[in-house]
Formats: sequence, C-alpha cells, structure tokens
Amino acid sequence: MRIYILRRLAEAVPTILMITLVVFVMMRSIPGDPVVALLGDAFTEEDAAKVRNEYGLDKPILVQYGLWLAKLAQGDWGTSILSGRPVLKDVLVRLPVTLELIVLSMAVALAIAIPAAIIGALRQNTWADYSATTIAMIGVSIPEFFAGVLLLLVFSVALHGTLPSSGWVYLPGTCPMLVCTGSVWANMMHVVMPAVALGIGRAALLTRLLRASMLEVIRTEYITTARAKGLAEKPVVLKHALKNALIPTVTVMGLQVGFLIGGAIVVEALFAMPGLGSFGIDAIIARDYQQVQGFALITAFAFVVINLIVDLTYSLLDPRIRYA
Amino acid sequence: MRHPVRNAATLIVIAMMLGGVTVAHAQKRGGTLRVAYGNEIAGLDFHVTAGYEMIWVATNVGCGLVSITPEGKFIPDAAESWQISPDGLLYTFKLRNNVVFHDGTKVDAAAVKFNIDRIMDPATRSSVRTFYEAVHSVEVLDARTVQIRLKHPYAFMLHMLAAYRMGLVLYSPAAIQKYSPEDRRAGKPEATISCGPFRLIEWVKGNQLVMDRFDKYFEPGLPYLDRVIIRTIKDPVTQMAAFKAGEVDFLADFSVDHVDTLRAQNPNAQIMTGKETTPMVAMMKVTVPADGKPMSKNRAPHPIFGDVRVRKALGCYGIDRKEIVKLAFKGQATPWLGIIPPGTQDTVDVTSLCPYDPAKAKALLAEAGYGPQKPLTLELLTNTEKAVFNVIATVIKEQVARIGVTANIRLVDKVSWLNTATQDGPFDMYVEDLASLLVVDQNAYLAASTAAWNSARHTDTKVDDYFARYAREMDSAKRKVIAKEFQEFSVENLYWNTISGSPFYQVAQPWMKGYTYQAEFKVIYRKVWLDR
Amino acid sequence: MNTLPNVDLPVVGELAGAALAAARSESPLAQALRRLRKSKTALFGGVIAVALVVVAIFADVLAPYSPTASDQRHTFEAPSRAYPLGTDQLGRDMLSRLIHGSRISLAVGVASVLLALFVGVPLGLVAGFYGGRLDAGIMRLMDLVLAFPIYLLAIILMVIFTPTAGLIGTIKVVGAIAIVRIPIYARLVRGSVLSIKEKEYIEACRALGVGDRSILFHHVLPNSLAPIIVTTTLGIATSIIVEATLSFLGLGTQPPTPSWGWDLKANVAFIHQNPWLALFPGLAIFVTVLGFNLFGDGLRDALDPRMK
Repeated sequence: MRIYILRRLAEAVPTILMITLVVFVMMRSIPGDPVVALLGDAFTEEDAAKVRNEYGLDKPILVQYGLWLAKLAQGDWGTSILSGRPVLKDVLVRLPVTLELIVLSMAVALAIAIPAAIIGALRQNTWADYSATTIAMIGVSIPEFFAGVLLLLVFSVALHGTLPSSGWVYLPGTCPMLVCTGSVWANMMHVVMPAVALGIGRAALLTRLLRASMLEVIRTEYITTARAKGLAEKPVVLKHALKNALIPTVTVMGLQVGFLIGGAIVVEALFAMPGLGSFGIDAIIARDYQQVQGFALITAFAFVVINLIVDLTYSLLDPRIRYA
Repeated sequence: MRHPVRNAATLIVIAMMLGGVTVAHAQKRGGTLRVAYGNEIAGLDFHVTAGYEMIWVATNVGCGLVSITPEGKFIPDAAESWQISPDGLLYTFKLRNNVVFHDGTKVDAAAVKFNIDRIMDPATRSSVRTFYEAVHSVEVLDARTVQIRLKHPYAFMLHMLAAYRMGLVLYSPAAIQKYSPEDRRAGKPEATISCGPFRLIEWVKGNQLVMDRFDKYFEPGLPYLDRVIIRTIKDPVTQMAAFKAGEVDFLADFSVDHVDTLRAQNPNAQIMTGKETTPMVAMMKVTVPADGKPMSKNRAPHPIFGDVRVRKALGCYGIDRKEIVKLAFKGQATPWLGIIPPGTQDTVDVTSLCPYDPAKAKALLAEAGYGPQKPLTLELLTNTEKAVFNVIATVIKEQVARIGVTANIRLVDKVSWLNTATQDGPFDMYVEDLASLLVVDQNAYLAASTAAWNSARHTDTKVDDYFARYAREMDSAKRKVIAKEFQEFSVENLYWNTISGSPFYQVAQPWMKGYTYQAEFKVIYRKVWLDR
Repeated sequence: MNTLPNVDLPVVGELAGAALAAARSESPLAQALRRLRKSKTALFGGVIAVALVVVAIFADVLAPYSPTASDQRHTFEAPSRAYPLGTDQLGRDMLSRLIHGSRISLAVGVASVLLALFVGVPLGLVAGFYGGRLDAGIMRLMDLVLAFPIYLLAIILMVIFTPTAGLIGTIKVVGAIAIVRIPIYARLVRGSVLSIKEKEYIEACRALGVGDRSILFHHVLPNSLAPIIVTTTLGIATSIIVEATLSFLGLGTQPPTPSWGWDLKANVAFIHQNPWLALFPGLAIFVTVLGFNLFGDGLRDALDPRMK
C-alpha cells in the first residue's frame, strides 16, 4: 500500500511540473510586469533595468523556470517581488482557510444530495422525486457569486448581521498569526455562507449520481427479492444501495474539487476570506510571478493528493479493489 | 446631632458622584481599535513603497521631525523646536532628549542625518526622493541638534517634512543596517523599527496588521489604545455590514456612494469629510515619442491632443462637470478645474473659466479641422481600481457624443494602466484620481516637464517655472498671487485637466473619540480612545 | 462542471426500452422525440432557451431604450411604468440593458461551446481512432488542460488576452472559455470511438476497403452524436455561468457593452437602497442557465432512457 502511494506521488510529479511550467510561461505572456508598480513614483529606466536584473526577469523564460525549480528543490518557494514576503509562508497561512471551505462545501453538497437522492430513489417519478431533482437543478443554475450575494442580502443585510459578512476567525489552535483569537463558534459563523454558496452548485450532480446508482441497486434487488421478502427489506436495500452508490460518487467528488477550487476564488473574493483563492487572483492581477507560482504549485499538488485519497477511499468502500 | 458616619457616608457618595461625572469625560486608557481599509497594503518599507494604506501605518508606527495640524500649524514631533535662518537656507532642529526607537536606540541627530541621507541616495530608490531636491546636505551639530542645508530657499520644507506622503519617517539606523529591504517591505516587525506611538507586532498580508502601544513613546500617557488591528475589506457593502454589526470601529476610506445609506443605518456614526484635496482628472496626452521609443527625448505633438484647441474643446467646454459630479458622486464633490484642488493651500476657483458650452466646443473642433466630414474618435483609458472611474468615463463618453466626438472606453486593471499612463504608452485621454495634495508643490513630480511621471508628457518649461517660483517664494501673499497665475495658466493650456475634486470620507463609531480628521494626509491614532 | 456525466449502468432498462420500441416499431429518433415531448421540465427549459434566442436576436426592437444612454434626471429609479425594471446609477434603463445583455450571454454561451466542439471532436476522433503515440500525445495535452481548475485557467487566459469591450472583447471571452472546454469533448468522443472501434462491422468495412475518413464520419461519429448533443446543451449553461463569473471578476467583456455579470457586480454595491438592480441581472442569468440545464437534462433522458 505504501509503495502504491509513493508510486502514485512519483508519477504525479511530471504533471505538477508541467502545470507549473505552463503557468510560468502564461504569466510572463501577460502584458506588463510588476516592476513599474514596484518602483512607483521613483521609477527610472536605469532602476527598472537594475531591478529586473536583480530578480532575473531579463533572463530567458526557461532559465528563469530552471532557477525557480532549483530554489524549490531546496524548499524555497521564493519571495514576492512586490511585497518581499516569502511565498511559502503566505501559502501556508492561507491554506487552512480554503481547505476548510472546500471540505465544508462538499459536506453541504452531500447534506443536500443524500436526502434528495433517497427521496428520488424511493419515490421514483412522483412529485417528490421531481421536486428534489428540480431543487438540485436550481442549485446548479445559480452562479456561486449570485448565491453568495443572495445569502449576504438575507443574512447580513436584511437580518442585520445574523451572520458576519466578511473576514475570518480561525479554529482554536490553527491560527497562523501572533495575534489571534480562535473560536469554533465564530469560525462556523464565518464559513457557513461561503460554504453554502459554493456547495449548492455541486449538490445537483451528486444527487443525480447517487439517485441513479441507488436505483440500479434497488431495481436489481427488487427483481430478485421483492416477491420473496416484501417491504421489510427496504431499509436493508437502502443501506446496501447507498453504500454501492458511494463508489462512483466518491470518484465524482474527487473531480468536483477542481470546480470547488475555482469557485473558491469567487466566493473568497466576495466574502473577503483570507484563503488561497483570493491569494491567487490577487497575485495574477498584480503580476506577482512568484506568488502565482506558489499558488499553481499548491493547487496542482492538492489535485494529486485528493485524487490519491479518492482512489484509496475507493478501495476501502469496495473490498474487491486492492492496490498491490 | 446627626449620625457622623452617615454624614460622612453621604459626603463620600456625593464626592463619588461628582468624581464620576468628571471621570466620564476623561480619556479611557486601553482597548483595541479595529480599523478597516478598502485596499490592501502594498508593502511596509516607509521610505520606498507607495500607497495610502502604507502611509496611514507609517504615521502611527513612525515619528518624524515635525508634524502639522489640520489648520496648517506646525507642531513638534521628535524635534521639540526648530529655527530657520533669515536667508531660508538653514533649518536647525533641536531634538527632544527622550525620543527612542522601538528597539531602544536613541533618536539623535546622527539618526536623522542617516535617514535623510538614505532617502536622498538614488540606490535606495525612495519614492519620496524628489521631494528632497532642494536639500544640499544634512549636518550633525551635536547629539541633539541637526541642521539641514538647502540649495535654495524652499517655502515648503517644513510641509514636506511634516506631511508630503507620510512626511519624514525616521528608521532606526541599527535596524536598517541589520535587515534587508525585503524584510522591511515584508513588514517584518524586527525590521520595521521607528519611533512612533505604536510599534508593529505583525503584518500578515491579506489578513491583518497589528500594532501595539509603544511604552516608551516620548509623549507621556500616550497613546491611550493598547492595540490597533487593521484589516482589509474591499467591498463597501461588506464594510457597511461589518460597521453596522460593530465588528469594525473605523473605516479609514469610505466610498462616497454609500455615505447616505451608512448614515441611515447608523444615525450616531461620525462621518468625516472635508474639502477635497485630491483631483479627479481627465488627462490628455500632449506629446508622443517622435521615434516611437517610449520616454524618448524626441517628441512630436499627439495627433489629437497636441492641438490646444482640441484640448479646450474636449477638456474645457465639451464636458459638463456638474453632470459628472451628480452622476458619479451623487453631487458630493466639487466640480473643479485647475491644478490646485479645492482643499489644498492657496487654491483659487477658476472653474468659471470653463463653462459647459457645447457650441463653443464644436466651434473649436471645427477650427481644428474636425467635423462631420472628419469626425473625431479617441480612446478613453481608465482602470478598475475604483468603480467611479468607469462611471465618469461613461458620462464623458456620452457628453462628447453630443458634440460629435466618439470616445471608446478602454478599461484595464491598475497595473496595466500604470504601465501605459506613466511609461509613455499609447493613450489619448485617461480618467483617474492622482495624488492628494497638501500643497501643489507636491505635484511637481507629476506635472513638471522633466518629471518621470509627467503622464501628459508636455514639454512646456513654463510649468516648471511656476512650480519653482511658487516653491521659492517665502512671502505667503506673493505665493498666493503666483498660485492664481498658475491656476489660470494651467487652464489656458490644459496640460492638466481636472474635472472635480475626489471626495474622501472616513467613518467612526460613536465610541471612537479623539480622532482628528485630516484628509488623506494624516490618519493618526495617537490620541484616540474608546468610550466604552 | 455544472452538468452530469454519463455513467455506465446495466442493460435492464435498455432492453426494456428496446423491447417496447420493437413492439411499437419506432425509430430511435422518434422514440427520443416522444420521450422529450412527455417531459414537462424539458419543454419548460426548451421554451426558455428559445425565448432567450429570440430576445437576443431582436434585442434592438424589443428594448424600449438604448442600453448605454445615460440620463441624469432618472438615476436609481424604482421599477415603474416608464422603466419596468428601474434605472441604474447612470440613469440607464435596466430592462434594455438586460435585453441587450442576453446577446453577450447567449453569444458567448453558444459560440464557446461550438468552438470547443469543432476543435475537440476532431481531436477525440483522431486520438481514439488512430491510437498509439498520437492518442497519447493528444490525451496528455487534454489532461493538462483538465488539471487546471476551470476558473483559474479562464482567468489567466483572460488576463493574457486583456479584457476589452465590443466584438473583440467578446471573442476573447469565447476563446478563453472554449479552450477550457475542449478536453471535455475530446474525451467524450474518444471514449465513444474506443467503444465501437473493435466492433465487427468496422473490421468488415476496413476489409471492404472503405476509407478511414468515411468510417469516421458515417459510423463512428453518429454513435457519439447523442452524448455530444447533451453535453453541448448542458455546456451552454456552464459557459453562461463562467462568462458571468468572469464579468463579475471584471475579466469578461468590458463595458460599455452590456453584460449581465458586469451589471450584477456593479450594482451589488447599491444593494441596500436599490436591491433590484443587482437581483434582476442575477435572475436573468439564473433563469437562462436553468432553461438550458432543464432542456439538456430532458435531452439526456430522451436520448438515453437508461439513466432514468
């Protein structure tokens, strides 16, 4: 098992490198560089040339990439040209926020999907089924930012601050700053709206999948045992169906993380959360090359790890699947 | 005889009540002030980085030689007194003997010289170096006396030291030598050592900035606050929600669009503003590089705005400043013309020189050769830093359409705008608000023909003459005359085209006391206390 | 992705359906249309989609005012007879802006998906049919694009292209979104190709000397048509959301071209005093996407009854 994990991680390295290389090249294709913003009013051509030389911005792109890789191999993720701050430190500060957001969004999606799928599977083709599917479909048709705006309107504006509109409170013990008050309650209050805004869009797909998979099991079970056992078997069938349905669902959840990371960018911007999403987009717009590289790296790495976890969960759920 | 204890008790109770009445108005020590900025802090190297958000930290973490009140009076900071020689060339400052840096080292004359020399050194790439153009040298006369020698008289030396950007902010020489520019920019607390009422505890970009009371601050009893926490909330709706919920005590820079709503939601909030000190401009490019190389010394007139008639047609008579102010600022700004904003020293209202007159604008355009046969099309550049820029650009587009001109709006992000507008990139006209001005002398680095940031790229040395004369005139009455002439000259030529003032609002909770509004120049928490 | 993928399920339903169809002696297409007509939600979605197309085409006629004409005497007006959806900060009629905004949403939605189709389908066909190094190379590229979170790639692409207004600006957005969607179609078609490549009648065709191109077009492609149609319809919905999100972030088609996403972003700032200004563009996006999603879902059910 351990060998399998290591092998998978090793196989993922070329993909991660490829992604970072593509991002590296793309960032430098954006017109304008950060030097003008960095020097501000003191800008002179000579200073700009000096700064570009200091940061290696005048070297060929592949050479620059190579230098970045070399530093990375020593554990140095570089420092931001604009703010002078070490990239790794900033990424680590932001990571728990986005991680929590994504995990809870998935939880929200499942919390909607599982009941909807059960209703749909049990009461197939009744109005309850249609309602459940339609509600899921509505969720998928609302853009994350609009859902967020509606939630803000209701809970922060109309209901006068029932839920905080911005910012973040860390869970006790996870705070990366010197001055911090951790609080589970405040943390939950801050994460609820963003998680819901992000999660409802994912619920539709999960509902659909769970429902279809459960139906498959129910049908086959029904055909073979319906006459023999009767309605009392329903809860057993349900449990069996649910467990069976989780396998393809887990796969899809792994794929969904990609959309969650993207959606997190928008939601974090809207709710002023100090997460990786807002970090990434701010860095891209400011042309902060080093920060964007850090962002790309952590995102690619997250993908790989999550897919690995998905595959491992697969083998847990289905004993027939074993990884040598 | 009445019971003596009961009498005494009554007296004591009365005394306590009276004492309580007076105590309620005295400043309370302690508490944390929670501030919200509308934009992220770019960096924390006070001498190098730019941006108001940084300046407003520098004015609390840092101390300088002198400071300035909203009325324009100079007050001591680290320097307890100063003298100016009769010829105006020598400024001698006597430092207090109890000023120390946050690392415990003394703020002495050598430290002051170190700092000014450092700012003036091109290798530092300081963003305020241009302001020290008049300085010849700095001398240490004794441990507590430092003397600045000027090359020529400079009427605004003290203004510059007090409040151009953050004024002169003194860094501990020990810290400067020990830590790198990256450390300072990154806001490492051990590298950001100055002598202000607060010391930097931490800066986690995108999260919060924390500063705590400096126990050895040279003014006894100050500051009242234990701590100030600053975080960034970009969206005004979110700012309002946080303010209403009491999560924030002070909004350092609030959007004018929402002031009415905030007032309705929070009737007891302190909403502070004043005459605008920042100009909102529609800058027209006057020359282009003749050889196509950006920043080339070889200039050719801009194909459209090289002609002053076209500049006047579009910049003077062709836009309705009142309509712009009404639509973009809900009327909460001053329609304005001229290079000195309404709230800046020695300002003169010359807006009447450019009444909205579409007929005259059309006539001027016809003179310059534009008309139905040869319609004028131009590109109007603006950036996404503030939503109001695009609103103004859209209104201008509509207005010039009335005189037969097609303006195509190009909206870019701030970095792209910076690269284009300040680096002699291709543009016709841009809408932006530029630096906030204590004195128009501060604008020399943006408007003189030789300035790197002269985005209009005009080549008229008369502008430089005006700046120089204004800066060297020591008599304030004569200065006012020069200012008036300068305003009129700038209208005549429109190298600099102001549309209106750019309003600035700050909002405080009713329990935040002791704060003095001083426009964008000074955001000072030194005397702030929390009444709760 | 705001759509649902195809998952292989047992054949029970298919057999039942085929048996029924044989009993009725209907062609698969007729079966599909019948099922489609029966689904109320699909019809509802279809009506919305068609209505949107009509509105977009006839925007100039339908809109009561110009979407870009500002009027300083009528700013921030509440919905009224004169202005059914109110006016914004510049006095522009919201209804006209929404009507014209449908052009951008629809154009970007449809064009980006079509572009992704025209690039992705041939890539998938080639990769699946010829296999080997070509297949490996193409799929590596597709995997690379898929490895990016959809918004991240679209954002970086738009920043590289530099968002502008007008037709060029819209084309840039179409390009950015299309690039991100291409791998979906490539993978889909490749999967289809692989599933029938080994079937006997293909071997027979080959033996008979029928050209590769002919095989591809006449046998392989029709087999993948159903999933392509469904993915395209659902893809339009996703593209509209991505375009709106890009506009919300300020990276879509720039003003003064009216855009739902941009209006939503610009008017969220006034949500206290004029909430409808932000709600209406949001509702427009929602209803449009819902329509395409419902219709696409109905199509999927009609073309592949096993899923039900």
